Amino acid sequence: MFASLSGQLAALGPFLHDVAEGAVTTIAASVAAFVFGIVIGSLLLLVRQHGGRTLAGVVIVYVSVIRGTPALIQMLVAYYVLPAVLNLPLSPLQAGILALALNTAAYVSEILRGALNSLGRGQIPAARALGMPPVQVWRYIVFPQLFYRSIPPLTNEFTMLLKASSLMSIIAVHDLATVARDATLQTNLPLQVFSATAVVYFAILFLASSASRGIERRVAKVLPNVH
Amino acid sequence: MSIDFGIVESSILPLLKGLKVTAQVCVLGIPLGIVLGTIVAYLRASSWRVLRTSALVYVEIVRNVPFLILVYLSFFGLPKIGVAMPAFAIGVTATAFYTGGYFCEILRAAFGSLAHGQVQAARSLGLTGLQVQRHVVLPQIFGYLAPATTSLTIMMFKDSSIFSVMSLTELTYQSNLLTADTFAYVEVLGTTALIYWLCSVLLDIAGQWSERYATRYRRV
Repeated sequence: MFASLSGQLAALGPFLHDVAEGAVTTIAASVAAFVFGIVIGSLLLLVRQHGGRTLAGVVIVYVSVIRGTPALIQMLVAYYVLPAVLNLPLSPLQAGILALALNTAAYVSEILRGALNSLGRGQIPAARALGMPPVQVWRYIVFPQLFYRSIPPLTNEFTMLLKASSLMSIIAVHDLATVARDATLQTNLPLQVFSATAVVYFAILFLASSASRGIERRVAKVLPNVH
Repeated sequence: MSIDFGIVESSILPLLKGLKVTAQVCVLGIPLGIVLGTIVAYLRASSWRVLRTSALVYVEIVRNVPFLILVYLSFFGLPKIGVAMPAFAIGVTATAFYTGGYFCEILRAAFGSLAHGQVQAARSLGLTGLQVQRHVVLPQIFGYLAPATTSLTIMMFKDSSIFSVMSLTELTYQSNLLTADTFAYVEVLGTTALIYWLCSVLLDIAGQWSERYATRYRRV
Protein backbone atom coordinates (compact mmCIF):
# COMPACT_ATOMS: atom_id res chain seq x y z
CA MET A 1 0.00 0.00 0.00
CA PHE A 2 2.95 2.34 0.56
CA ALA A 3 4.07 1.98 -3.06
CA SER A 4 1.35 4.29 -4.27
CA LEU A 5 1.40 6.57 -1.24
CA SER A 6 2.14 9.68 -3.28
CA GLY A 7 -0.68 8.77 -5.63
CA GLN A 8 -3.01 8.37 -2.69
CA LEU A 9 -1.94 11.69 -1.22
CA ALA A 10 -2.64 13.25 -4.62
CA ALA A 11 -6.15 11.79 -4.35
CA LEU A 12 -6.57 13.95 -1.23
CA GLY A 13 -5.64 17.08 -3.18
CA PRO A 14 -9.22 18.06 -4.09
CA PHE A 15 -10.05 18.18 -0.37
CA LEU A 16 -7.44 20.78 0.56
CA HIS A 17 -9.94 23.59 0.18
CA ASP A 18 -12.46 21.75 2.41
CA VAL A 19 -9.74 21.07 4.95
CA ALA A 20 -8.87 24.76 5.11
CA GLU A 21 -12.56 25.64 5.56
CA GLY A 22 -13.01 22.94 8.19
CA ALA A 23 -9.93 24.13 10.07
CA VAL A 24 -11.22 27.70 10.05
CA THR A 25 -14.58 26.51 11.43
CA THR A 26 -12.85 24.45 14.14
CA ILE A 27 -10.62 27.35 15.22
CA ALA A 28 -13.28 30.08 14.97
CA ALA A 29 -15.90 28.04 16.87
CA SER A 30 -13.36 27.18 19.57
CA VAL A 31 -12.25 30.80 20.00
CA ALA A 32 -15.87 31.99 20.14
CA ALA A 33 -16.80 29.29 22.65
CA PHE A 34 -13.73 30.14 24.74
CA VAL A 35 -14.63 33.85 24.90
CA PHE A 36 -18.24 33.06 25.86
CA GLY A 37 -16.99 30.41 28.28
CA ILE A 38 -14.72 32.89 30.08
CA VAL A 39 -17.53 35.45 30.39
CA ILE A 40 -20.09 32.89 31.60
CA GLY A 41 -17.52 31.22 33.85
CA SER A 42 -16.68 34.54 35.50
CA LEU A 43 -20.39 35.21 36.03
CA LEU A 44 -20.80 31.74 37.55
CA LEU A 45 -18.00 32.53 40.01
CA LEU A 46 -19.61 35.87 40.94
CA VAL A 47 -22.97 34.18 41.49
CA ARG A 48 -21.35 31.50 43.60
CA GLN A 49 -19.57 34.10 45.76
CA HIS A 50 -22.31 36.74 46.04
CA GLY A 51 -25.55 35.12 44.92
CA GLY A 52 -26.72 33.77 48.25
CA ARG A 53 -27.15 30.15 49.27
CA THR A 54 -29.74 29.01 46.73
CA LEU A 55 -28.05 30.47 43.67
CA ALA A 56 -24.65 29.27 44.85
CA GLY A 57 -26.16 25.80 45.15
CA VAL A 58 -27.49 26.04 41.61
CA VAL A 59 -24.01 26.94 40.33
CA ILE A 60 -22.44 24.05 42.25
CA VAL A 61 -24.91 21.57 40.73
CA TYR A 62 -24.42 23.08 37.25
CA VAL A 63 -20.64 22.73 37.48
CA SER A 64 -20.95 19.17 38.79
CA VAL A 65 -23.34 18.12 36.02
CA ILE A 66 -21.22 19.65 33.25
CA ARG A 67 -18.06 18.07 34.64
CA GLY A 68 -19.81 14.74 35.19
CA THR A 69 -21.37 14.21 31.76
CA PRO A 70 -19.67 13.61 28.37
CA ALA A 71 -19.23 16.61 26.06
CA LEU A 72 -20.83 14.44 23.37
CA ILE A 73 -24.07 14.19 25.37
CA GLN A 74 -23.95 17.95 26.03
CA MET A 75 -23.58 18.49 22.28
CA LEU A 76 -26.70 16.37 21.62
CA VAL A 77 -28.63 18.18 24.36
CA ALA A 78 -27.66 21.60 22.95
CA TYR A 79 -28.81 20.55 19.49
CA TYR A 80 -31.94 18.49 20.21
CA VAL A 81 -33.21 19.63 23.60
CA LEU A 82 -32.24 23.28 24.23
CA PRO A 83 -33.96 24.72 21.13
CA ALA A 84 -37.22 23.08 22.26
CA VAL A 85 -36.81 24.22 25.87
CA LEU A 86 -35.77 27.78 25.00
CA ASN A 87 -38.14 27.91 22.03
CA LEU A 88 -35.21 29.21 19.99
CA PRO A 89 -34.14 27.56 16.74
CA LEU A 90 -30.38 26.93 16.65
CA SER A 91 -28.24 26.07 13.65
CA PRO A 92 -25.78 23.17 14.16
CA LEU A 93 -22.90 25.65 14.45
CA GLN A 94 -24.76 27.80 17.00
CA ALA A 95 -25.70 24.73 19.03
CA GLY A 96 -22.11 23.50 18.84
CA ILE A 97 -20.62 26.77 20.05
CA LEU A 98 -23.27 26.98 22.79
CA ALA A 99 -22.48 23.45 24.01
CA LEU A 100 -18.73 24.12 24.02
CA ALA A 101 -19.21 27.49 25.76
CA LEU A 102 -21.46 26.06 28.48
CA ASN A 103 -18.97 23.22 28.97
CA THR A 104 -15.93 25.51 29.16
CA ALA A 105 -17.74 27.94 31.48
CA ALA A 106 -18.02 25.28 34.19
CA TYR A 107 -14.30 24.47 34.01
CA VAL A 108 -13.34 28.17 33.83
CA SER A 109 -15.35 28.96 36.94
CA GLU A 110 -13.54 26.17 38.82
CA ILE A 111 -10.13 27.39 37.57
CA LEU A 112 -10.92 30.95 38.68
CA ARG A 113 -12.24 29.71 42.02
CA GLY A 114 -8.97 27.87 42.57
CA ALA A 115 -7.07 31.10 41.83
CA LEU A 116 -9.41 33.02 44.15
CA ASN A 117 -8.57 30.65 47.01
CA SER A 118 -4.88 31.33 46.45
CA LEU A 119 -5.38 35.10 46.64
CA GLY A 120 -4.20 36.89 49.79
CA ARG A 121 -7.14 36.71 52.20
CA GLY A 122 -6.85 40.32 53.31
CA GLN A 123 -7.06 41.91 49.88
CA ILE A 124 -10.82 42.04 49.50
CA PRO A 125 -11.55 43.38 53.01
CA ALA A 126 -8.72 45.89 52.56
CA ALA A 127 -10.16 47.16 49.30
CA ARG A 128 -13.63 47.35 50.87
CA ALA A 129 -12.20 49.24 53.83
CA LEU A 130 -10.72 51.77 51.42
CA GLY A 131 -14.27 52.46 50.29
CA MET A 132 -14.39 50.52 47.03
CA PRO A 133 -17.82 49.09 46.18
CA PRO A 134 -17.82 45.31 45.45
CA VAL A 135 -18.08 45.89 41.70
CA GLN A 136 -14.85 47.89 41.72
CA VAL A 137 -13.15 45.36 43.99
CA TRP A 138 -13.81 42.62 41.44
CA ARG A 139 -13.07 44.86 38.44
CA TYR A 140 -9.78 46.32 39.66
CA ILE A 141 -8.46 43.99 42.37
CA VAL A 142 -9.76 40.45 42.09
CA PHE A 143 -10.38 39.61 38.41
CA PRO A 144 -7.07 40.97 37.04
CA GLN A 145 -5.14 38.83 39.50
CA LEU A 146 -7.34 35.77 38.93
CA PHE A 147 -6.78 35.89 35.18
CA TYR A 148 -3.02 36.44 35.46
CA ARG A 149 -2.71 33.56 37.88
CA SER A 150 -4.92 31.33 35.72
CA ILE A 151 -3.13 31.74 32.40
CA PRO A 152 -1.58 28.22 32.37
CA PRO A 153 -4.76 26.32 33.34
CA LEU A 154 -6.90 28.53 31.09
CA THR A 155 -4.72 27.89 28.05
CA ASN A 156 -4.78 24.19 28.90
CA GLU A 157 -8.56 24.46 28.99
CA PHE A 158 -8.45 26.05 25.53
CA THR A 159 -6.54 23.08 24.11
CA MET A 160 -9.08 20.70 25.69
CA LEU A 161 -11.81 22.83 24.10
CA LEU A 162 -10.14 22.60 20.67
CA LYS A 163 -10.07 18.82 21.01
CA ALA A 164 -13.70 18.68 22.18
CA SER A 165 -14.72 20.87 19.23
CA SER A 166 -14.29 17.79 17.02
CA LEU A 167 -17.51 16.52 18.64
CA MET A 168 -19.39 19.23 16.71
CA SER A 169 -19.14 16.81 13.78
CA ILE A 170 -21.74 14.65 15.57
CA ILE A 171 -24.38 17.35 15.04
CA ALA A 172 -23.29 18.00 11.42
CA VAL A 173 -21.23 21.15 11.90
CA HIS A 174 -18.86 21.40 8.94
CA ASP A 175 -15.67 21.30 11.01
CA LEU A 176 -12.39 19.50 10.43
CA ALA A 177 -13.68 16.13 11.69
CA THR A 178 -16.71 16.31 9.38
CA VAL A 179 -14.50 17.15 6.39
CA ALA A 180 -12.38 14.11 7.25
CA ARG A 181 -15.40 11.83 7.46
CA ASP A 182 -16.78 13.09 4.13
CA ALA A 183 -13.38 12.71 2.45
CA THR A 184 -13.17 9.13 3.75
CA LEU A 185 -16.55 8.28 2.27
CA GLN A 186 -15.52 9.68 -1.11
CA THR A 187 -11.98 8.31 -1.37
CA ASN A 188 -12.20 5.12 0.73
CA LEU A 189 -8.75 5.98 2.11
CA PRO A 190 -9.51 6.18 5.86
CA LEU A 191 -5.92 5.60 6.97
CA GLN A 192 -4.51 8.45 4.90
CA VAL A 193 -7.41 10.85 5.50
CA PHE A 194 -7.58 10.44 9.27
CA SER A 195 -3.78 10.47 9.64
CA ALA A 196 -3.67 13.72 7.68
CA THR A 197 -6.51 15.08 9.86
CA ALA A 198 -4.63 14.08 13.00
CA VAL A 199 -1.61 16.01 11.69
CA VAL A 200 -3.73 19.12 11.06
CA TYR A 201 -5.24 18.95 14.58
CA PHE A 202 -1.77 18.35 15.98
CA ALA A 203 -0.44 21.44 14.22
CA ILE A 204 -3.32 23.64 15.44
CA LEU A 205 -3.09 22.40 19.03
CA PHE A 206 0.70 22.58 19.06
CA LEU A 207 0.58 26.19 17.85
CA ALA A 208 -2.05 27.00 20.49
CA SER A 209 0.01 25.56 23.34
CA SER A 210 3.22 27.20 22.05
CA ALA A 211 1.43 30.54 21.87
CA SER A 212 0.19 30.06 25.42
CA ARG A 213 3.72 29.42 26.67
CA GLY A 214 4.72 32.67 24.95
CA ILE A 215 1.91 34.52 26.71
CA GLU A 216 2.95 33.04 30.05
CA ARG A 217 6.52 34.26 29.56
CA ARG A 218 5.30 37.73 28.53
CA VAL A 219 3.07 38.05 31.55
CA ALA A 220 5.81 36.75 33.84
CA LYS A 221 8.12 39.46 32.48
CA VAL A 222 5.63 42.32 32.72
CA LEU A 223 4.26 41.29 36.10
CA PRO A 224 7.10 39.58 37.96
CA ASN A 225 5.21 39.64 41.25
CA VAL A 226 2.05 37.96 40.10
CA HIS A 227 3.16 34.34 40.08
CA MET B 1 -42.96 21.12 27.90
CA SER B 2 -43.94 17.94 29.67
CA ILE B 3 -41.85 14.92 30.47
CA ASP B 4 -43.16 11.48 29.59
CA PHE B 5 -42.06 9.33 32.51
CA GLY B 6 -43.25 6.21 30.72
CA ILE B 7 -40.45 6.68 28.18
CA VAL B 8 -37.96 7.40 30.98
CA GLU B 9 -38.95 4.17 32.65
CA SER B 10 -38.77 2.04 29.51
CA SER B 11 -35.37 3.55 28.55
CA ILE B 12 -33.68 2.71 31.84
CA LEU B 13 -33.12 -0.99 31.12
CA PRO B 14 -31.53 -0.58 27.65
CA LEU B 15 -29.44 2.31 28.97
CA LEU B 16 -28.16 0.25 31.89
CA LYS B 17 -27.25 -2.48 29.40
CA GLY B 18 -25.19 0.13 27.59
CA LEU B 19 -23.64 1.26 30.87
CA LYS B 20 -22.45 -2.30 31.38
CA VAL B 21 -20.48 -2.19 28.11
CA THR B 22 -19.15 1.28 28.99
CA ALA B 23 -18.00 -0.09 32.34
CA GLN B 24 -16.37 -3.14 30.74
CA VAL B 25 -14.38 -0.95 28.32
CA CYS B 26 -13.24 1.32 31.16
CA VAL B 27 -12.43 -1.47 33.63
CA LEU B 28 -10.19 -3.12 31.01
CA GLY B 29 -8.84 -0.06 29.21
CA ILE B 30 -7.97 2.33 32.04
CA PRO B 31 -5.79 -0.09 34.12
CA LEU B 32 -4.08 -1.20 30.89
CA GLY B 33 -3.43 2.45 30.13
CA ILE B 34 -1.97 2.99 33.61
CA VAL B 35 0.47 0.12 33.02
CA LEU B 36 1.30 1.49 29.56
CA GLY B 37 1.77 5.01 30.95
CA THR B 38 4.12 3.72 33.65
CA ILE B 39 6.25 1.95 31.05
CA VAL B 40 6.29 5.04 28.82
CA ALA B 41 7.27 7.23 31.80
CA TYR B 42 10.34 5.00 32.28
CA LEU B 43 11.07 5.14 28.54
CA ARG B 44 10.97 8.93 28.69
CA ALA B 45 13.79 8.81 31.22
CA SER B 46 15.69 6.21 29.19
CA SER B 47 19.33 6.81 28.28
CA TRP B 48 18.59 5.55 24.78
CA ARG B 49 17.61 8.52 22.69
CA VAL B 50 15.35 6.67 20.23
CA LEU B 51 13.21 5.37 23.10
CA ARG B 52 13.10 8.80 24.75
CA THR B 53 11.98 10.50 21.55
CA SER B 54 9.38 7.85 20.65
CA ALA B 55 7.89 8.12 24.13
CA LEU B 56 7.73 11.90 23.78
CA VAL B 57 6.09 11.67 20.34
CA TYR B 58 3.51 9.23 21.73
CA VAL B 59 2.61 11.55 24.61
CA GLU B 60 2.39 14.58 22.30
CA ILE B 61 0.09 12.68 19.91
CA VAL B 62 -2.26 11.82 22.77
CA ARG B 63 -2.24 15.40 24.03
CA ASN B 64 -2.73 17.03 20.64
CA VAL B 65 -5.07 14.78 18.65
CA PRO B 66 -8.79 14.59 19.49
CA PHE B 67 -9.97 11.22 20.80
CA LEU B 68 -12.67 11.15 18.11
CA ILE B 69 -10.06 11.30 15.32
CA LEU B 70 -8.06 8.54 16.97
CA VAL B 71 -11.18 6.36 17.17
CA TYR B 72 -12.05 7.04 13.52
CA LEU B 73 -8.47 6.26 12.49
CA SER B 74 -8.46 2.94 14.36
CA PHE B 75 -11.96 1.87 13.40
CA PHE B 76 -11.82 2.71 9.69
CA GLY B 77 -8.06 2.58 9.15
CA LEU B 78 -6.96 -0.63 10.88
CA PRO B 79 -8.97 -3.00 8.63
CA LYS B 80 -7.16 -1.42 5.65
CA ILE B 81 -3.82 -2.69 6.95
CA GLY B 82 -5.25 -6.11 7.67
CA VAL B 83 -5.98 -5.64 11.37
CA ALA B 84 -9.59 -6.63 11.92
CA MET B 85 -10.64 -5.96 15.50
CA PRO B 86 -14.16 -5.88 16.93
CA ALA B 87 -15.37 -2.48 18.13
CA PHE B 88 -15.05 -3.59 21.76
CA ALA B 89 -11.35 -4.42 21.35
CA ILE B 90 -10.75 -1.10 19.59
CA GLY B 91 -12.54 0.65 22.45
CA VAL B 92 -10.34 -1.00 25.07
CA THR B 93 -7.17 -0.33 23.04
CA ALA B 94 -8.04 3.31 22.34
CA THR B 95 -8.90 3.88 26.03
CA ALA B 96 -5.59 2.31 27.07
CA PHE B 97 -3.65 4.30 24.44
CA TYR B 98 -5.14 7.62 25.55
CA THR B 99 -4.98 6.89 29.29
CA GLY B 100 -1.33 5.89 28.89
CA GLY B 101 -0.28 9.23 27.41
CA TYR B 102 -1.93 11.23 30.18
CA PHE B 103 -0.87 8.90 32.99
CA CYS B 104 2.76 9.11 31.84
CA GLU B 105 2.65 12.89 32.36
CA ILE B 106 0.87 12.53 35.72
CA LEU B 107 3.54 10.12 36.89
CA ARG B 108 6.36 12.39 35.77
CA ALA B 109 4.76 15.34 37.56
CA ALA B 110 4.37 13.21 40.70
CA PHE B 111 8.06 12.27 40.74
CA GLY B 112 8.94 15.88 39.96
CA SER B 113 6.95 17.02 43.00
CA LEU B 114 9.20 15.07 45.34
CA ALA B 115 11.81 17.22 47.10
CA HIS B 116 15.18 16.31 45.60
CA GLY B 117 17.14 15.78 48.78
CA GLN B 118 14.76 13.18 50.21
CA VAL B 119 16.13 10.12 48.45
CA GLN B 120 19.75 11.01 49.27
CA ALA B 121 18.77 11.84 52.85
CA ALA B 122 17.03 8.49 53.25
CA ARG B 123 20.00 6.65 51.73
CA SER B 124 22.46 8.43 54.03
CA LEU B 125 20.32 7.36 57.00
CA GLY B 126 21.09 3.77 55.97
CA LEU B 127 17.90 2.76 54.15
CA THR B 128 18.44 0.41 51.22
CA GLY B 129 17.31 1.39 47.73
CA LEU B 130 14.15 -0.72 48.04
CA GLN B 131 13.37 0.67 51.48
CA VAL B 132 13.70 4.21 50.14
CA GLN B 133 11.16 3.39 47.44
CA ARG B 134 8.84 1.55 49.85
CA HIS B 135 8.88 4.00 52.77
CA VAL B 136 9.83 7.38 51.30
CA VAL B 137 9.04 7.67 47.59
CA LEU B 138 5.91 5.57 46.96
CA PRO B 139 3.79 6.78 49.89
CA GLN B 140 4.23 10.39 48.75
CA ILE B 141 3.76 9.53 45.07
CA PHE B 142 0.42 7.85 45.79
CA GLY B 143 -0.85 10.93 47.60
CA TYR B 144 -0.07 12.97 44.51
CA LEU B 145 -1.35 10.38 42.03
CA ALA B 146 -4.74 9.76 43.64
CA PRO B 147 -6.54 13.01 42.67
CA ALA B 148 -4.96 13.24 39.20
CA THR B 149 -5.77 9.61 38.43
CA THR B 150 -9.35 10.15 39.58
CA SER B 151 -9.85 13.02 37.12
CA LEU B 152 -8.19 10.99 34.37
CA THR B 153 -10.50 8.03 35.10
CA ILE B 154 -13.58 10.26 34.99
CA MET B 155 -12.31 11.87 31.76
CA MET B 156 -11.84 8.49 30.07
CA PHE B 157 -15.19 7.26 31.39
CA LYS B 158 -16.86 10.27 29.76
CA ASP B 159 -14.80 9.98 26.56
CA SER B 160 -15.99 6.38 26.13
CA SER B 161 -19.24 7.95 24.85
CA ILE B 162 -17.28 8.62 21.64
CA PHE B 163 -17.26 4.87 20.93
CA SER B 164 -20.90 5.27 19.89
CA VAL B 165 -19.58 6.46 16.49
CA MET B 166 -18.28 2.96 15.80
CA SER B 167 -21.54 1.31 16.88
CA LEU B 168 -20.12 -0.13 20.08
CA THR B 169 -23.28 -0.81 22.11
CA GLU B 170 -22.24 1.37 25.04
CA LEU B 171 -24.38 3.88 26.93
CA THR B 172 -24.43 6.72 24.35
CA TYR B 173 -25.08 4.30 21.48
CA GLN B 174 -28.07 2.84 23.34
CA SER B 175 -29.27 6.39 23.96
CA ASN B 176 -28.96 7.18 20.22
CA LEU B 177 -30.97 4.05 19.37
CA LEU B 178 -33.71 5.09 21.79
CA THR B 179 -33.91 8.67 20.50
CA ALA B 180 -34.01 7.44 16.91
CA ASP B 181 -36.87 5.15 17.97
CA THR B 182 -38.96 7.48 20.11
CA PHE B 183 -37.77 11.03 19.23
CA ALA B 184 -38.10 11.65 22.97
CA TYR B 185 -34.86 13.62 23.17
CA VAL B 186 -35.60 15.29 26.50
CA GLU B 187 -36.47 12.07 28.33
CA VAL B 188 -33.80 9.81 26.83
CA LEU B 189 -30.90 12.29 26.79
CA GLY B 190 -31.91 13.48 30.27
CA THR B 191 -31.86 9.91 31.64
CA THR B 192 -28.57 9.18 29.87
CA ALA B 193 -26.97 12.34 31.26
CA LEU B 194 -28.25 11.47 34.72
CA ILE B 195 -26.65 8.01 34.56
CA TYR B 196 -23.31 9.46 33.41
CA TRP B 197 -23.48 12.13 36.10
CA LEU B 198 -24.26 9.70 38.92
CA CYS B 199 -21.36 7.46 37.86
CA SER B 200 -18.97 10.42 37.69
CA VAL B 201 -20.05 11.57 41.15
CA LEU B 202 -19.52 8.06 42.52
CA LEU B 203 -16.09 7.86 40.87
CA ASP B 204 -15.26 11.25 42.35
CA ILE B 205 -16.28 10.12 45.84
CA ALA B 206 -14.22 6.95 45.46
CA GLY B 207 -11.31 9.13 44.33
CA GLN B 208 -11.60 11.39 47.37
CA TRP B 209 -11.70 8.35 49.61
CA SER B 210 -8.57 6.91 47.99
CA GLU B 211 -6.84 10.28 48.27
CA ARG B 212 -7.61 10.42 51.99
CA TYR B 213 -6.28 6.89 52.35
CA ALA B 214 -3.15 7.64 50.32
CA THR B 215 -2.36 10.77 52.33
CA ARG B 216 -3.14 9.33 55.78
CA TYR B 217 0.56 9.62 56.72
CA ARG B 218 0.26 13.43 56.51
CA ARG B 219 -2.16 13.44 59.42
CA VAL B 220 0.01 11.41 61.80
